[in-house]
Amino acid sequence: MAPPAQTLDELLARSAQGDRAAFARLYQASAAKLYGVALRILRREDWAEEVLQECYVSIWRHAAEYRPAMAAPMTWMTSIVRNRCLDWLRRPNPEPLAGDALESIEDENPGPLAALEASRDGAALARCLGALESRQRQAIAAAFLHGLTHAELARELREPLGTVKTWVRRGLARLRSCLEAQR
Amino acid sequence: MKLNAELKDRLAAEYVLGTLRGPARERVRRLLPREIAAWEQRFAPMAQSVAPVAPAARVWRAVERRITPRPRFAFWRTIGLMASGAVAALIAVAVLLPPQRAAIPASYIAVLSDPKTNHPVLIATAERRDALLRVKVLDPAIEVPGRSLQLWALPRQGAPRSLGLLSGEMKLIAAADQTLADVPALAVSLEPPGGSPTGQPSGPVLYSGPCVKYW
Repeated sequence: MAPPAQTLDELLARSAQGDRAAFARLYQASAAKLYGVALRILRREDWAEEVLQECYVSIWRHAAEYRPAMAAPMTWMTSIVRNRCLDWLRRPNPEPLAGDALESIEDENPGPLAALEASRDGAALARCLGALESRQRQAIAAAFLHGLTHAELARELREPLGTVKTWVRRGLARLRSCLEAQR
Repeated sequence: MKLNAELKDRLAAEYVLGTLRGPARERVRRLLPREIAAWEQRFAPMAQSVAPVAPAARVWRAVERRITPRPRFAFWRTIGLMASGAVAALIAVAVLLPPQRAAIPASYIAVLSDPKTNHPVLIATAERRDALLRVKVLDPAIEVPGRSLQLWALPRQGAPRSLGLLSGEMKLIAAADQTLADVPALAVSLEPPGGSPTGQPSGPVLYSGPCVKYW
């Protein structure tokens, strides 16, 4: 029998071959992070749990499609969760946002940037986000972390829709050029 | 859709940010995988900066239930036990299905469900005089990379008969009235690429359900 896999890459590769024990370890190593991401966007435990369950079944079934050259395992799995969350919010008749949305947006300014400093890539992203105008930064962080649409951002930030769209667009363009200059 | 590089990049960025919604989202996902991967990488540290929260143990139990294959022995005998839910689903589907292509409704309809959730995952229909089984997959996630799904007829008497690897249109060896008349249920098993080497289900049975002749 092969020695136990250690890294997320190896656990994913074994899961692709139908190794359920490896998949259980992959879950143990990644579920809290992914649940945090889902909970942040969906803001309801029951929804986040359901999405998380769907996502792990999907990861199990599609593990063979993971390409290490394209993305790190956590990035790949996170994008599955984020996409599923955004699809979930797009369902017909979504319930209105929880009332604390504005509060949590205000927290983003510039709160979570501090948590980014830990890694080198994170430090670069934090620097570049920090270089944006505060309203651009606020809009981008709120959209990414809470899954808000332009219209929801406009409502929460009490600004016209067109203004918010411009902040987001300019902020993303500046973010990109700043990140490329850092490399 | 022909786009300049700047617009592509903007669409991919808004896709990853999550502000791109509606049908555009699906198109961008399909058309711009490279640009999306680049933006996912740029934003990855922010996703990772979100504080971890341990999910309830029931989440893993539910996942585990859904990825654990059922025991393979004598699976067709258990179908009677789970048929009631599946029959309800079958009736619901038959009533709700939009009228299909021609004026003639299918004679044979089978609805296969996931026994763990009782959710229907695919519908197979055939017209009585056609040697053609049309399969509509309701849950695209049933595909398993690197493995084949094989469809079986479970006759009232005798061993399962292969209907072939699961696909949208499956050729039957004879008209449905000959091949399906004595078949009260269909099942899908997970097999090595290309199908079972033995001519009988060799892997776990993932989905099954009643096959009913309507007229």
